[in-house]
Amino acid sequence: MLSKADRSAAFAVAAALGLFFIGGLLTTVVPPLVDKSWSRPAPGLRPYTEQELHGRAIYVREGCWYCHTQQTRTLVSDTKRSGWRGVDSPISTPDEFVYDSPHMFGTKRTGPDLSRVGGKYDTQWHRTHFRNPRDLVPGSVMPPFPWIVNDEKEFQALVAYIQRLGRAKDWRPDKDYEK
Amino acid sequence: MAQGSAVQPQKGTESGAPPLHVDTTAKWFLLSSISYFFIVGIIALTIAAKFVWPELLGTVPYFSYGRLRPLHVNGMLFGWLLACDMGISYYIVPRLCGVKLWSEKLGVATAVLWNIIILGAVVALMGGYNHGFEYAELPTPLEILVVVAWVMYGVNIFGTIATRKYTQMYVSIWYIMGTVLWTTFVYPTGNFAVDFTTGVNQANLNWMFVHNAVGLIFTPIGLGIAYYFIPKSSNTPLFSHRLSMIGFWSLAFVYVWTGAHHMIHGPISQWLQTIAITFSVMLLIPVWAVVYNFFATMKGQWHQLRENVPLKFLMSGTVFYLLTCFQGPMHSLRSVNAIVSKTDWIPGHAHMALLGCFSFFAIAATYYIVPRMWNTRLHSDALANWSFWCMILGGLGFFTTLWLGGFWQGWQWNNPAIPFIDTVKALKPVWLVRFFSGTLIFSGIVMFAYNVMATVIGRREYAQ
Ligand code: HEC
Ligand code: HEM
Repeated sequence: MLSKADRSAAFAVAAALGLFFIGGLLTTVVPPLVDKSWSRPAPGLRPYTEQELHGRAIYVREGCWYCHTQQTRTLVSDTKRSGWRGVDSPISTPDEFVYDSPHMFGTKRTGPDLSRVGGKYDTQWHRTHFRNPRDLVPGSVMPPFPWIVNDEKEFQALVAYIQRLGRAKDWRPDKDYEK
Repeated sequence: MAQGSAVQPQKGTESGAPPLHVDTTAKWFLLSSISYFFIVGIIALTIAAKFVWPELLGTVPYFSYGRLRPLHVNGMLFGWLLACDMGISYYIVPRLCGVKLWSEKLGVATAVLWNIIILGAVVALMGGYNHGFEYAELPTPLEILVVVAWVMYGVNIFGTIATRKYTQMYVSIWYIMGTVLWTTFVYPTGNFAVDFTTGVNQANLNWMFVHNAVGLIFTPIGLGIAYYFIPKSSNTPLFSHRLSMIGFWSLAFVYVWTGAHHMIHGPISQWLQTIAITFSVMLLIPVWAVVYNFFATMKGQWHQLRENVPLKFLMSGTVFYLLTCFQGPMHSLRSVNAIVSKTDWIPGHAHMALLGCFSFFAIAATYYIVPRMWNTRLHSDALANWSFWCMILGGLGFFTTLWLGGFWQGWQWNNPAIPFIDTVKALKPVWLVRFFSGTLIFSGIVMFAYNVMATVIGRREYAQ
């Protein structure tokens, strides 16, 4: 049947697009219609504040997302690594991310996952860490970001963003920043 | 199979008669893409070095890892590989159609626009104007220009095909047509549609684009090139027309379903993950059809590999294609994915596809057509051979260390008793080897670029 595409360009075009659109539409347009949890915010999720959005923009600008993911996957080791003081973190669900654009799920973990990092370290820790990560964590390959620390407004915004990561679900056993 | 022999590329359509093809557009695209290959190669080495010496250029925002990495990725994908592939298609489509390129003027304008886009991208990405989506990092105005350039390219290719002299269309033409058509939908999905969505829905569109940027842009145009140059440079007819049809039409159907395999175990519906996994495994069909066809074409011709540099690149590219597309379906399986996903295995896989396979095809084609377009001989065959060995040895070092390292890393991550930082330290030797392998690959790039430039500049001398 498809051998007609050998001679007729019009037929080849129609067939190539037809086949492509079956999968294309079924995997992009249909899923959000079927699975409503993609667009319904989690009960504890509030929209970003102005400052958090600014911090998020810095996160995008500096390419933090090339080294950090933001998803606790359905793997035991992920829930333990994102956990805190022996309590496993809940896995990430679609409803926690409905205000995210651009999404920051990420694909590579050169550094640890950040989906539950909010509240883990205090501002002072982040200040030192961004100035030079190796001062706090010897052996780290995270780049230094002195230009962020030197701009107080940018630094505060970035920290505000980091501190709200993963907070839509109430799961932390202790007060913030406790070791 | 005799069917389609009228358009078999080995039937020297370009011999004898007064030169039909002027190839101005192809020349522009090739020369600029090769320059970017060299320049972006320096960026590649810089980011590989940053894994070993994280403080390198650390206080200059423009040179920080988070800004150079997207520059490397976009520079290699759009500045080098896609531009080179487009240049090559401006060469082969007119020849397979037996007519002139529809419009050289439009073609040259496309090349100029393409260069404006790439230079704009360098400034934007180093300045931190990052759109925030992988492989789609360019700011929106530049993305709009990409669409304009793509339409100009498509008009030229389809214009040429519409005015063709030979009714029968060789496989390469289908693949190039497919590339033009699919990109027209895939690119806007990843670059514009994402802006109207959020969260998981947006990620789903983003990964549909990321996956199909490779699968429905670089794969079809790369295979179209290989289908032309394997028979051509070995002077052997293609083994099977039927097999190439199976390969093409199954690719057209299967590829687009697989985007969600980038989020296996992640916060996206399980049933969508399962669909993506199923279709990822089905990808073995188009891949094996193509690879079998290429190998069968070479039957009895393998001895040619000893002398023929383009053929060396083409056949090792084919082997890398087979390996990449074996890995792909395997790490979409949930069990394997739990180990390798998000590790350094993934860049090992990505480079085998884009460097080991598709860049090798593009390099082979460049070595083959540059002397013919400029009507001369290659500056140095020995240097070309050296470029091959540097790239393949560097490439193998790069891929294998990242697989081993990535697998080990994933294994460690799955044991939460190991602190994360220890898994970082464990990878340092791997990153050092990657840097040195990268240096070897880069030497190959320098030899390749120098050889091409020297051929063009010294064309009158060598023609004697
Ligand atoms: C080259 C990759 C890389 C980049 C880019 C990067 N990081 Fe990191 N990051 C790491 C590594 C490796 C670690 C683990 C060692 C450490 O704590 O320094 C880390 C750790 C962290 C931690 C501590 C996580 C924890 O649970 O202990 C935070 C927070 C963090 N990074 C935030 C950022 C932000 C914000 C940016 C962008 C401004 C960024 N990182 C850019 C590699 C990177
Ligand atoms: C000199 C040789 C090269 C070196 C040293 C190199 C190095 C790197 C490094 C260090 C990364 C980042 C990996 C990470 O995030 O951990 C990367 C990513 C990438 N590179 Fe290269 N690269 C080289 C050549 C190429 C070529 C020729 C291409 C394509 C034509 C390419 C395409 C990519 C892509 C697509 C990514 C993103 C991978 C992903 O999505 O995971 N690279 N490269």
